[in-house]
Amino acid sequence: MKTKLCALAIVAAAVWGMKRYYADARVDDLWWILSPTAWLVGVITGRAFAFAPGEGYFAPDRLFLIEKSCAGINFMIAAFGMSMFARVHRVGSAVSCARVLGTSLLASYAAAVLVNTARIAIAMWLAAHPMALSAFTSAQIHRFEGITVYFGGLVLLYELVLRFDRRPALARSGR
Amino acid sequence: MNRAIPRAAARAFRHAALPLAWYYAVTLALPIANGAAQGVAAFAEHALAVLVVPPVLIVLVCAAREIVRLLRWRGTARAAARELCDSRLQA
Repeated sequence: MKTKLCALAIVAAAVWGMKRYYADARVDDLWWILSPTAWLVGVITGRAFAFAPGEGYFAPDRLFLIEKSCAGINFMIAAFGMSMFARVHRVGSAVSCARVLGTSLLASYAAAVLVNTARIAIAMWLAAHPMALSAFTSAQIHRFEGITVYFGGLVLLYELVLRFDRRPALARSGR
Repeated sequence: MNRAIPRAAARAFRHAALPLAWYYAVTLALPIANGAAQGVAAFAEHALAVLVVPPVLIVLVCAAREIVRLLRWRGTARAAARELCDSRLQA
């Protein structure tokens, strides 16, 4: 019980720390998440993004910019906290706590890059194909798309975490 | 069918409670705690969208799944009925 409480305290501190880091970080400090995202978006859309110091990653036509607010840090924080809460019952010792923390951090980072890539690629497609009859502005559509992709990504990650979490128990029971 | 969608939606809400809670915590609770709600109008619009869209998505996905399940069940029931008729005619 003590170890579990300790793990939850670490999660709370990590979430707060990540949020503070994100608030103070410049776009250049976020290269560790922006550069793989920009590279993957480039692979999917066939448009290579170029880094502009202090601004972010520009599309070749400079009409699309992947900047600080597109980094997906909030998604990563939510994914990390959710994964930890979903697997906190696995924490029984310092070693298992470190293992669950490490895998949750890794899963949340990978999910943030992938989900954010999908969100940006869809946003670029929507920007190139505006809906003439839509009752919403392009900013509202961009917001709805972001919420849909991020929340959908979070639910998908939760399903994956539950599936991987059940696996050892199933293997032990011989099923 | 009338009760199937609300029941499936209730189940889905229970299942998605943890992702939903974390989504709301990071997109609403933490910004409010950090004082983001001071720009009231802009934050209210953002908060409204963040509050409404995920539950709407859950209900839509449930409704779509239930409709697909119903159509499949109807198809299976129709095929079974046809098979039964054919076997009785042959007999």
